[in-house]
Amino acid sequence: METRTSATTHATTTNAAEKSRLSPRGRLVEAGARIADDHLRRVLEGRDFLLFDGAMGTQLQARGLAAGETPELLCLTNPREIAEIHRAYVEAGSEVVTTNTFGASAPKLAGAATVEEVFSAAVACARESGARYVAADIGPTGALLQPMGTLSFDDAYDLFAEQVRAADAAGADLVVIETMADLAEAKAALLAARENCRLPVFCTMTFDEDGRTFLGTTPEVAALTLSGLGADVIGINCSLGPADVAPLVERMLPWACCPVMAQANAGLPRVEGGVTVYDVTPEQFADAVGGMVDAGVTVIGGCCGTTPAYIARERALLEGRTPAPRDVRRDFAVASSQRLTVLPDSHVGVIGERINPTGKRRMKEALRSGNHDLIISEAIAQEEAGAQILDVNAGLPEIDERATLARLMSELQGVTALPIQVDSAVPETIEATVRSYPGKPVINSTNGRRDTLDAVVPIAARYGCALVGLTIDEEGIPPTAEGRLAIARRIVAATDAANIPRQDVVIDCLCMAASTDQSAPRTILDAIALVKRELPGVRCVLGVSNVSFGLPFRPLVNATFLAAAFAAGLDLCIINPLQQRMMDVVRSWRALTGEDESAQAYVAAYANRTDDAAAATTTAAARQDPTSSDADSTGDAQDPCERARSLVLSGRKQPMADAMAQILSDHDTLFAINEVLVPALDEVGIRFERGTFFLPQLMAAAEAAKAGFDAIKASAASAEATATKGTVAICTVKGDIHDIGKNIVRMLLENYGFDVLDLGRDVDPQDFCDAVVERHIRVAGLSALMTATVPAMAETITLLNEQAPWCKTIVGGAVLTPEYAEMVGADYYAKDATETARIAQEILAQPE
Amino acid sequence: MIVDLPAHDADPAEVLRYLGRGSQSVSSDIEGRLETQMGRARELARPRASIKCFPIASRDAEKSTISLEGCALGLEGASIAEHLAGARAVALMAVTIGMALERELRRLALLNSLDQALFDAAATTLVECAAEDAEALVRSRAREQGRFANARFSPGYGDLPLACQPTLLDALDARRRLGITLSPSLLMTPTKSVTAVIGIFDELPPRMRTTCADCPCHEYCTIHRSGGSCRGD
Repeated sequence: METRTSATTHATTTNAAEKSRLSPRGRLVEAGARIADDHLRRVLEGRDFLLFDGAMGTQLQARGLAAGETPELLCLTNPREIAEIHRAYVEAGSEVVTTNTFGASAPKLAGAATVEEVFSAAVACARESGARYVAADIGPTGALLQPMGTLSFDDAYDLFAEQVRAADAAGADLVVIETMADLAEAKAALLAARENCRLPVFCTMTFDEDGRTFLGTTPEVAALTLSGLGADVIGINCSLGPADVAPLVERMLPWACCPVMAQANAGLPRVEGGVTVYDVTPEQFADAVGGMVDAGVTVIGGCCGTTPAYIARERALLEGRTPAPRDVRRDFAVASSQRLTVLPDSHVGVIGERINPTGKRRMKEALRSGNHDLIISEAIAQEEAGAQILDVNAGLPEIDERATLARLMSELQGVTALPIQVDSAVPETIEATVRSYPGKPVINSTNGRRDTLDAVVPIAARYGCALVGLTIDEEGIPPTAEGRLAIARRIVAATDAANIPRQDVVIDCLCMAASTDQSAPRTILDAIALVKRELPGVRCVLGVSNVSFGLPFRPLVNATFLAAAFAAGLDLCIINPLQQRMMDVVRSWRALTGEDESAQAYVAAYANRTDDAAAATTTAAARQDPTSSDADSTGDAQDPCERARSLVLSGRKQPMADAMAQILSDHDTLFAINEVLVPALDEVGIRFERGTFFLPQLMAAAEAAKAGFDAIKASAASAEATATKGTVAICTVKGDIHDIGKNIVRMLLENYGFDVLDLGRDVDPQDFCDAVVERHIRVAGLSALMTATVPAMAETITLLNEQAPWCKTIVGGAVLTPEYAEMVGADYYAKDATETARIAQEILAQPE
Repeated sequence: MIVDLPAHDADPAEVLRYLGRGSQSVSSDIEGRLETQMGRARELARPRASIKCFPIASRDAEKSTISLEGCALGLEGASIAEHLAGARAVALMAVTIGMALERELRRLALLNSLDQALFDAAATTLVECAAEDAEALVRSRAREQGRFANARFSPGYGDLPLACQPTLLDALDARRRLGITLSPSLLMTPTKSVTAVIGIFDELPPRMRTTCADCPCHEYCTIHRSGGSCRGD
């Protein structure tokens, strides 16, 4: 009977899956899910318990599965044994059995069977056990996602989507994504499940003893992100024994707006007399699980080392119990994969505004050239200055905003743990960016215009993002507080309808200049107070600096207005946290309101401050390197040219700016470059070649020279000093993530006055080629460290020869030899970075 | 068996050797920066190993493949056949110092190439330490059972193909237990990870190191500390 019911439902669902495949945007939360029966529905509402099964691998090993064998294939070769394992769990009390498909992805099956075959056989085995529900099991791909690894988010999604469709076609009742260590990968799997079937989706991650996944995600971040993204149940599996899992799962509970599950290991394995045993007994296991159930966990089972005996204990544990009531926090909260930013009621938060090209020449130049060093240092400087969220805007009409944002997201994740506010006017760009973002970002922004609401609100809902709503519409910005409230109401009506929780909605009442209308500041403050009062739960954000437009000494005006806005109820400000005066307001406000308990942070930061400091603003976003040397002992009496040369040779960058300033007081910039820095670098190259210098000395010299060039650039108002010798495009080829050699090459090339377009590591041949074609670049440098990636180098060169025949190629890297270089069709082989610089000069010295 | 290995300090001379130092003098600047990066590497390292032993089931001379009992891994090639000549069993090992160092490497790649190179060399030294440590552990366990273990041999050495990495990592459950991932080009991440095969012998195998002093495991050896050696003397 049960089988027939599920077969009927299955027919309709396949159609639904077909449809959702046609519209890859997927379904909305409210779209009809296929829930097997009323009990499962009650489970998803947190009103009933659900008992899963225990380990599959442990059972298979006990039956003689060889280590390293693909256990999923046993569904095809030994279905009876697999069904027996499932049946033993059902007899012990499991309501759900989990299919033997943990690693059943196309790459792992490696052609031994198709994904469809394995899922079909696995679901049949599970059904045969008579279990009430069959959960289709999906584990990680085994490969690491970008930016740390080489697997793209979309490719991971496709692998998971294939599994989900197979599970759905085979008639599973739910999907369980488990043992995830990478939040981005969990997100890819979860989206694949939501967009390719209508089954409930359970999603669990695995944590280490330090309370983080291998990739650094905490239980809070996992809970907030995955439940926000629409997982029906989230939780922890594998990891550790139940006593160690309990505190971690309890950290998830306040942040999960869905039921929470736990499937711990039976403790740690050890080998006793040739047999693997686990150190937690079924009794101890059930005891610890009891604690989790008391805390609010409603879905339980077991992972590695657990057997039907453990499940029977858990069954007994649930008898006569009802789910404990749970409180889910309603704070404004966003997250990167590493960090949760929470703003409890009446606390104030800082969003760093610096990564935005509007009105910033150098930022525009960084975005156009693709050299993101400035952006990276802005991110770090803002984090150090106290920003809690980074606004990121790459909106320049002449660049590919979507591709640039994608690259920035990956780079910024590398250097800062701050959550991101995606700042774009293009809904498609917003969607592409938040979709693969590992965490819960803020979207900046929607507004009162109908078309914008229709385009952006569904994105925030679908991907579980916080959303900024600007009080502007087709008619412009209303002049009154009531007018802005009216727009805020429309925005909140739309977010309410899309089931976006109120705390995720952040209204921006829009700042206007006091110099053009002196009633404007009052209006904004009133609007903030009105929105907070009339739309309970909603937060307010404001970029304050517009208020001072047209007035002298703007920081003072901004600071005064910010304090007033906090008093009116402002939750988040979008400011330049490097402006000391703004952070002074934030910190002192926190001390005054008790957010900064006992004013400890305030006292720590200001105990020795005098008032003069208030006027000082930190300007240099460019970071001072703390590592460099003390006083300059090279001697002040020396000729400044000789001194600069000696600083380069000894690799000391700190005194370089001073030395260059002295030189430039008597000479022009060309002299400083061609008669001082370049000869010094040549000498460095010779010493490296002869072996008198080794790598760190070469690099330290390059750093010192770069400090010299930077000083020249900063002093030269005209462009002549920075006239480039031409552009060189470099990358580490597809499949390879070793980039030390490539980074050294970049450093030296920059020293010799080349513009370097560094495409990074693991770079797709066509992407590299496109960049070369787009900028008509004449020299390309390719690096590979592994034999396995040399073919990718050959492919890149072939493409370049076809599509950019003007471009000469230089190859290098640990495995490269002159013979390999010839084999892959390169024009030049360079044995090290200095030789690359020499060859690039040689090529660009010739007319094209 | 999953083992948390002790933390070690990298030897600065060893780190400099990885950086290509011969007789060059090192400025105090570079020395200071190296110290900083070595300290950071040590702070972030979480050395851990997964080790399992399997008896040798058969040797197919024609295909030069060694198969193991209870393990799907086939060891192919003349070099591993020679390394395991006369062995009764093998110990498989996977060692990593963790993903945190990988993150730091990426951070430094975006910030400062020299610091990246220094940190990378320090991390390489640390994973070598961890591998020696795991190897020493295998040797002492072998001695406890009256057997002998030879040196570790990694996929990619000689003609032992890298293609055996997926099965080797699965056999050790290294993806789940240690967080080691594998790219389609068979690159392990964390990159500071080592996999290897060690032969287990009933008799002292030929070509074992004749002195403890030149053994790379010397520092990590527990047998040596109690006065014996892995050669049984």
